[in-house]
Amino acid sequence: MKSNYDELLEEFTEEQIRQLDDAIALYKGQPGALIPVLEKAQELLGFLSASAQKHVGDGLNIPLSQVYGVVTFYSLFTMQPRGKHTIRVCLGTACYVRGGKKISDSIKQMFNIEEGETTEDRRFTFETVRCLGACGLGPVMVVDDDVHGRVKPDKIKSILDQYR
Amino acid sequence: MKVFRSHILVCGGTACRASGGADVKQALAAELAKQNLADEIRIVETGCNGFCAMGPVMVVYPEGIMYVEVKKEDIPELVEEHFLKGRPLERLFYKEATTETPIPEIKEIPFFAHQELRVLRNKGLIDPELIDEYIARDGYAGAAKALTEMTPEQIVQEVLDSGLRGRGGAGFPTGLKWRFAAQSKGDIKYVLCNADEGDPGAFMDRSVLEADPHAVLEGMVIAAKAIGSNKGFIYCRAEYPLAIRRLTIAIEQAKDYGLLGDNILDTGFNFDIEIYRGAGAFVCGEETALMTSIEGKRGMPRPRPPFPAVAGLWQKPSILNNVETFANVGQVIDKGSAWFSSVGTEKSKGTKVFALTGDVNNVGLVEVPMGTPLGTIVFDIGGGIPKGKKFKAAQLGGPSGGMIPVQHLNAPVDFETVAELGAIMGSGGMIVMNEDMCPVDMARFFMDFCQDESCGKCVPCREGTKRMLEILTDICGGRGREGDIELLEEMAVIIKDTALCGLGQTAPNPVLSTIRYFRDEYEAHIRDKRCPAGVCTALFKSPCQNACPVGMDVPSYLALVRAGRFDDAYKILLRTNPFPAVCGRVCDHQCQFKCRRATADEALAIKFVKRFITDNGNRPPVKAVPVTRKEKIAVVGAGPSGLTAAGDLAARGYKVTVYEELPEPGGMMRYGIPPYRLPRDVMAHEIDDIRALGVDIVCNTRIGRDISFNELDASFDYIFLAPGAHKSQPLGVDGEDSEGVYGSVEFLRDFNLDEDAWISRRKSLGSRVAVIGGGNSAIDAARVAVRFGADVTILYRRTREDMPAAEEEIIAAEHEGVKIEYFVAPLSIKTENGKVAGIICQRMKPGDFDRSGRRRPIPVEGSEFTLDVDSVISAIGQQPDVEFVPEDSGVSINKWSCFDLAENRKTETTSAKVYAGGDAVTGPWTVIGAIQAGHQAAAEMDEAIRAKNGEPAWQPPEEEKIDIPFEIDEETEEQPQAAMPELEPSRRIADFAEVELGYSIETAIKEASRCLRCDAEV
Amino acid sequence: MAKIKIEDLKKIKERVQAENALRHGDRRVRVTVHMGTCGIAAGAREVMTTLMKEIEEAQVSDVVVTTSGCMGLCSREPEITVEIVGEEPIVYEYVNENKMRQIFRRHILEGEIQTPFVLARGKEQP
Repeated sequence: MKSNYDELLEEFTEEQIRQLDDAIALYKGQPGALIPVLEKAQELLGFLSASAQKHVGDGLNIPLSQVYGVVTFYSLFTMQPRGKHTIRVCLGTACYVRGGKKISDSIKQMFNIEEGETTEDRRFTFETVRCLGACGLGPVMVVDDDVHGRVKPDKIKSILDQYR
Repeated sequence: MKVFRSHILVCGGTACRASGGADVKQALAAELAKQNLADEIRIVETGCNGFCAMGPVMVVYPEGIMYVEVKKEDIPELVEEHFLKGRPLERLFYKEATTETPIPEIKEIPFFAHQELRVLRNKGLIDPELIDEYIARDGYAGAAKALTEMTPEQIVQEVLDSGLRGRGGAGFPTGLKWRFAAQSKGDIKYVLCNADEGDPGAFMDRSVLEADPHAVLEGMVIAAKAIGSNKGFIYCRAEYPLAIRRLTIAIEQAKDYGLLGDNILDTGFNFDIEIYRGAGAFVCGEETALMTSIEGKRGMPRPRPPFPAVAGLWQKPSILNNVETFANVGQVIDKGSAWFSSVGTEKSKGTKVFALTGDVNNVGLVEVPMGTPLGTIVFDIGGGIPKGKKFKAAQLGGPSGGMIPVQHLNAPVDFETVAELGAIMGSGGMIVMNEDMCPVDMARFFMDFCQDESCGKCVPCREGTKRMLEILTDICGGRGREGDIELLEEMAVIIKDTALCGLGQTAPNPVLSTIRYFRDEYEAHIRDKRCPAGVCTALFKSPCQNACPVGMDVPSYLALVRAGRFDDAYKILLRTNPFPAVCGRVCDHQCQFKCRRATADEALAIKFVKRFITDNGNRPPVKAVPVTRKEKIAVVGAGPSGLTAAGDLAARGYKVTVYEELPEPGGMMRYGIPPYRLPRDVMAHEIDDIRALGVDIVCNTRIGRDISFNELDASFDYIFLAPGAHKSQPLGVDGEDSEGVYGSVEFLRDFNLDEDAWISRRKSLGSRVAVIGGGNSAIDAARVAVRFGADVTILYRRTREDMPAAEEEIIAAEHEGVKIEYFVAPLSIKTENGKVAGIICQRMKPGDFDRSGRRRPIPVEGSEFTLDVDSVISAIGQQPDVEFVPEDSGVSINKWSCFDLAENRKTETTSAKVYAGGDAVTGPWTVIGAIQAGHQAAAEMDEAIRAKNGEPAWQPPEEEKIDIPFEIDEETEEQPQAAMPELEPSRRIADFAEVELGYSIETAIKEASRCLRCDAEV
Repeated sequence: MAKIKIEDLKKIKERVQAENALRHGDRRVRVTVHMGTCGIAAGAREVMTTLMKEIEEAQVSDVVVTTSGCMGLCSREPEITVEIVGEEPIVYEYVNENKMRQIFRRHILEGEIQTPFVLARGKEQP
């Protein structure tokens, strides 16, 4: 049977794993350490594979079941590999009433993906979110950290073309 | 000290950054450097300024001039003009939404002028990354006072006395919460700040954290001293990176200064704060769930008791307050509880911050005293609703809250009133919704949110929200069933009573609130499978067709015009409307208000294209339908409603006789609307078609005079009453009976009956005419009077935006020289020898909001004035003349002189053989509304007859198949509505020739091609 | 940075308030430096710099400095207008660094109009 470390190596580099170990060491023993470590792990690895969860659990001496429970509870954590860029369309009330749904539908159609999925070329991961707090600009589409406001369906393509 | 001659405060809030604020700031710095101004002018990046809709914004001091929607390309000109030449750049001033008046100074802009800034006192005024700027604004003075001069008991007492209540939504007294925690035994206690702002549409806390992070830290220090805590956490959403960054900087600076950490201000008191990043779960806004989350577990709520004051985070005594609450505390201590409670209402003290969003002109951050009327927030501060749409409701409290509809615009916004109205104050998200909001869809949206965010721990919330969502989804999808509303209400109560935490307990609120105020729209979805707001797309083909009372197939006839198939287009028109040529001229075109093209540039001119079809297509000939039915039907009134019903019934094989009092058929189309809008022959041709079907129209015959109602009753099996509303409402002022005072309907009727007498001046209004009122009838009367050469003034008691008349009619009247005086109401009519000599008026000003959402006009004392006129036309309303129906007929009549309908019936009166429709049921309405009632009456009468006879329902003859081409443009180019060619105003007032000349073929095809084909199913 | 005490809070407040006074509106004097192309060519920039330095050294917070374009009398540039609240505005001509210092110290701070440099008085433009 493959060790968990080998499984980790299939997805991630040694350097990534070393940095993760640093983070675990930093928080180990502190109360409430799990969520900050998982945040760091996701930042380093991009997503939380089963092997990564096991590694964190082992490191913090927390059962895998509890790690999995936390990972699946919070929307920030993902167990799927992510695209190079993340498209997030706001479906908060203010954006919704201003046409956020249409933006979301257009993207689904454009890449033939559903919410939460990643395009085949792993270029984009598409998500919808509840209110980014930029309600004055609705409908809002966020690509990585760039907020694009007052988006119209026919402008989506030219916006996304900037992200290769 | 480094002195600058000017400070430029550039907003660095999230919204301004998102619209390019960072680039603007960079460009500004570069340009100032290039012009050698960097030593004289300082750029300060502030937190959210609040005026988010206008971003990026900047304010230049000492002048206090605000620039809005600044782009980086504007910067060279701005620097050159303002900072070199000293000429403020007017192009970038804020412009008032309706009048477009530029307002340079920030303090004059209504959005800011009506606010009371306390929590937000530093927003847009200080650099949030410099602790010194906060201190300069009395920052940490409250903390210093609390730490050096006050005991914990005194602090708690001061907060209690202030009346401060939790700003996170529930409104629990902050001082009480602190007292419980202070009284709990324990050496470790926690002060927690809830910055997990998750309500869609709410961004108050984010803005406070970004603009003034130290205010929150200071509040926490004071709280820590009050309860005896040494450790605090701020639980902040990971989605707020800028807020987290500013908080981190603030904490570092406070620690450097010894305002946090050990031995604060040399007082021996220790308190430290850590930021905890929330990983995205709405339920973590609930206090026990938030604590569980900090403990590193799934953020699920715990049952209470024990309350957090006793056993909170890690089972230690804890208090949790939200960002805005803490931001109030420093000032409560520094300035005292009396200062704090000097504004607000009896039980809700201080101010409240709202994130004003949705369909409102000035989207942004607003702080007002508790108890400020909703209308003041939406209209004075928010600048009203964009694009002339109507306010429908404000949503407060997000997924836990509810709607406050238009009839409650005067409601003072405080904890108690908002709760009475079925919403909750919530954390301060206020989403303004216009007439295009569907309450069922909104309820579904919020339920979807709660269902998704339910943590799953307790059954009522996990399963209940799911079931409620299914029902709502069904209703929106046209699968609603009778009883669904009651089922939703029942489930809502159970979930409220049994769910474990606030999320579940409040999740049904949006459903209950929308049912409370918009039950009729729920019923329309369930019974008629219709979405009145035009949102639930499963229920209609296109928004325009959905908006049309008779459901005209707009996309199809537009497509046929585009294809040049005008004859086919005409056939489509006639399928639903026997008067398309009339409607192409005078319809109030509800379709155009819902046109989706308006989101790109302008709505399609559907009405003009319709008229084009009737001008250019060949009207298909009509053949008489053989009378196959034995039942005889009488129709009273040959207006659009009566004639439509007569035509429909004749098509079903009934013998129909229409009785009309006046010499010609047409009703208001003939005797109300003047010929310059609707040429008489255009209407007459359409009526000919109805005659051609076999309908008898008997004119000059008034029921009750020429034939008694009982006689009619005896000779016919069924009767349809459609007499219209042909009586003007009296003004109710002295002198009304004098010679020279007319009701608008009576005047227009007399003119249309006896045109020659008026044109040859045998009858005359004199040279000066006052018309009172603001509806279409007032405009019609005024435009007719102008054509007699009179000097005409319309007196209206409200604003132009409030006028019920069609906008295009008002503009046309103005072009023809009609003067309109707003905010004027008549007091009495001045007479000389029994004749009108003038009208004594009073100026009005706007007061409270009425149920329609318009401001009620109230008199201005001492503003009376006299307008010398020769005649007065009163056009303040019309009512039906229903005297011809005897009391013993069994047809009941209501207090508005309209026919009552049988319960749950749309055209049947309280007598089973008598139906009614049009203005005589609804009060004065529209031609298309009357046509709809006619269709409805014919269908219901036929249905009743067949049901009584045990016959199967009527099968309409098979329609000719017309294939509808589908051709759309790949890219939509911006292109406004095509203008309607018109006669010159000077030419128009010479006679009664039709003003609008109709589209050319090229124009019509071009206009029809603008259709986005929302009906297409992809 | 050193830990602060209660009295330091007050000091910080006073210092920063002075720096930021122009955001709050208490002002006694408004000086307008005419900075059209002609003004800058004649040395308005140096005049402005001198003025700013003087304000800084004198530690006054009630003097507001603005710019404006050419007044139409290019031959007499650099020109400045000194407007003390409640008094008529004074326009000075041919201002240079030294004159600026003198105007600042004698007129702006002490209220004594420097008559030899005056071009015009009152609102009316020359």
